Amino acid sequence: MPARRNLFATTKARVIGAFCVAAFLHLAGTVLIPGYSSPFAVRAMLVLASLLAVASIGQTLVVIMGGIDLSIPFVIGFANVVAAQLYGDGWNFFLVCVLVGVLALIIGGLNGLISRSLDIQPLIVTLGIGMVVQGLVLLWTAGFPSGSAPQAVSSFVSIGGSAGPLPVPWLVPSLVILAALVVLVLERTPYGRRLYALGSNPGAAPLALIDPVRMWIITYAASAFFAAVAGVLLLGFTGSAYGDVGQPYLFQTIAAVVVGGAALVGGRGSYLGTIAGVLVLTEINTLLIGLGFQPSAVQAALGFIIVLLVSLYGRERHVSATI
Amino acid sequence: MNHISRLMSLARSIGFAVVLLIVLLAINLVLNPARFQPGSWGALIGLAAPLVGAAIASTPVILAGRGGIDISVGPLMGFVNAMLIQVLFLKAGIASPLLLVPAALLIGALVGAANGFLATIARIQPIVATLGTYLILTGVTLTILPAPIGPAPGWLKALAGPWSALPLAAILLAWWLVRRLPYHDQLMAVGSDDRAAYTAGVDVTRVRFIAYVMTGVLGGCAGLMLTALIGSADPNIGPTYTLIAIAAVALGGVSLAGGRGGVAGAVVGAVDIFLLQSVLTTFNVSTFVLQIAYGAILVLAVMLTALQERLAMRGR
Amino acid sequence: MADRPADSRGLIVRDLVIAPGASPIAKRIAPGEIVGLAGLDGHGQELFLKMLAGLAPPLGGSIALDLPGRPREITGFRKAVSNGIAYLPRDRRASGIFPTQSVLDNFAVSTLSRDTRLGLISPAARKTRYDIYREKLSIVAPRPDAPITTLSGGNQQKVLLARALALEPSILLLNDPTRGVDVATRHVLYDVFRELAADGMALVILSSEIEEILLLCHRVLVFRENEVAAEITGEEMNTETVIAAMFGRAA
Repeated sequence: MPARRNLFATTKARVIGAFCVAAFLHLAGTVLIPGYSSPFAVRAMLVLASLLAVASIGQTLVVIMGGIDLSIPFVIGFANVVAAQLYGDGWNFFLVCVLVGVLALIIGGLNGLISRSLDIQPLIVTLGIGMVVQGLVLLWTAGFPSGSAPQAVSSFVSIGGSAGPLPVPWLVPSLVILAALVVLVLERTPYGRRLYALGSNPGAAPLALIDPVRMWIITYAASAFFAAVAGVLLLGFTGSAYGDVGQPYLFQTIAAVVVGGAALVGGRGSYLGTIAGVLVLTEINTLLIGLGFQPSAVQAALGFIIVLLVSLYGRERHVSATI
Repeated sequence: MNHISRLMSLARSIGFAVVLLIVLLAINLVLNPARFQPGSWGALIGLAAPLVGAAIASTPVILAGRGGIDISVGPLMGFVNAMLIQVLFLKAGIASPLLLVPAALLIGALVGAANGFLATIARIQPIVATLGTYLILTGVTLTILPAPIGPAPGWLKALAGPWSALPLAAILLAWWLVRRLPYHDQLMAVGSDDRAAYTAGVDVTRVRFIAYVMTGVLGGCAGLMLTALIGSADPNIGPTYTLIAIAAVALGGVSLAGGRGGVAGAVVGAVDIFLLQSVLTTFNVSTFVLQIAYGAILVLAVMLTALQERLAMRGR
Repeated sequence: MADRPADSRGLIVRDLVIAPGASPIAKRIAPGEIVGLAGLDGHGQELFLKMLAGLAPPLGGSIALDLPGRPREITGFRKAVSNGIAYLPRDRRASGIFPTQSVLDNFAVSTLSRDTRLGLISPAARKTRYDIYREKLSIVAPRPDAPITTLSGGNQQKVLLARALALEPSILLLNDPTRGVDVATRHVLYDVFRELAADGMALVILSSEIEEILLLCHRVLVFRENEVAAEITGEEMNTETVIAAMFGRAA
């Protein structure tokens, strides 16, 4: 099927390129730093990458649709703190998760509804809603969240954990399955195809029987939901609640999506690409910290590499090419 | 009821942000007359100046359209702050305003040119390009200045006190001059429809590049005002201005899609946010409530602006 | 769904007012008929077409589908589509194609649920459905999973027509369907339109070219100042009469 190969010439090449960069970085790390590929180090990277990958699901969907979600870090913090607090108050943890999930869906739905139905930049709406959510959580806990995660969640994400015969915690195989599901939804369901179409040409979508407001509500709700999942997982990872735990994820989710080949103008991108972007970011972080750089220098290098990668394959068309 | 409808029609004619400004100003005057005495205007303006400056700086690239945005304005302010105090003043011993002010503007211009290169010539999506610069600037700032340090030269501190209106006045005067140039028309044309502008012979890339440089220079000014206000160097304050500045711009009726609005709107939006902070601080509410009110008013304000535009469209 | 053209008895337009102060329009569009809409730009023909599609609310009167025993009033685009109306927009780039998406995606986007098996789209079912229209419209797309922007303008238009036809409508509304389409493709489209009408579909074609209307349509509604200035049929339909009506002169 020569046709198929050609179709992916752009999208697929970017994804493969990002995977290659990740592999190269890992190789460089193994050569430069003793113990970089030790089982523990690899497990740690896989767990960190999985957490970022969960948080980036929503950003991927939203970006394909042509939006952006700045509320992800705030929702992560919200889920993290609320879950810990309620569990600490003696609630049933399953009930806690349901409540947090439903609240997250409402928050996200509100993001989508306001942005689309009034045609406001989602940048502003998600930022504002995120700030309100964080403020409410801070107010509720008076700034000092307490509580902890149940043992089950901790061992689910623990770097030292194992999933049956696999030497990785259950988080990693679960993420693989989740990723397969996300890819399937994007590629093979009406929702997925509508999502790409809406991002590709919002003006044509209503005539193709796509309801933009409905799509935005669903997608932003999904984004907030996965952010909440990441927040609960992070609770297990760190052991205690922390309202700002999601802050690094604000730019990292966007960076992962972009490094993975999605265009922020919508209609392009894939979750596989995001996973590749997540691996690249995780490798860079680990490598630079391993080389003894300060976190501030790591951050600067991260910015440099994002710009470099995107200038290699994520360039926009010149105006003259859009006429 | 009559009052509300009259207020609404007023809001429609002169813009929601201005009405909000008047209301907030009135509330502030009633609640805290001492703070708004003419004698304390200098300090008050100095307090508001960094946010106003950041909002003004964010405006040109947003006006230039096609997703133009510069999220590195905040980190640039922090970088300028660190360079001025840590590198130039404390290490190199340069204290003269004749050197420090041009240095701040030059740093801004260089960072702006770098952003402009990435966004217009390398054609990386502006939010990604400036996210890269955001991370680089934050990282470099923390590297040269791991912890807050002081002090600042005396004249600089005066720019946040008795002379606080000076830098803002200079910026506004400069923008008033820009508005008189043919460049401003080109900028607005590119922002509202770059394809049409390109077909009409406008060098779209050049116009956008210059917009990024202007944002950089104005960001340098904002960094100067930030340094004046805090009277020291602090690596952590600058980046916090980024999103608030963009929010202020949006609040002031500047369309994030480009080509609509102007610096005046951005100033009004920033002053709105400042006055809102001021009101909430007078009520002595916790920072948590401050944040909730902040986010809620931001969302409500853009919603009202959108609804108002919609009504205006329908009325036509 | 497939037998829709058979049980529809056309479209009834009752006292439709398309602009303030304009006199109402009452028309009936029957199955198997090709009706042309002509007029100088902005004289209401496009508004009329959009109202038929439920894309613009009427200022007065109503539009109803004459289905046996259950006339359905058109109150919105979705309702129109679910009752058997399909609309092909004018500006292919702004409101037609999804440029980053493949030819197949562009074809199937309005009718996604027809290819789903247990909630998942079956590529085989989609391809089979696409092949029917590819043949019918002689779409030249060597790689149906390549982006639609790799096709020529004429073939893009055919894919969009295929998207509309995939809805299996009884009434097809075409907004300047041959705009920016090469001559060879035009004639393919004309043949397709005639065949569709022969199979019992009602077609309403807005065209900016009078020759096209004369060539295709059984009758033409000429719009002037948001009113139907003239309805011309059969022998009387020629360039002079249509142009005269467009400019408000007696022929």
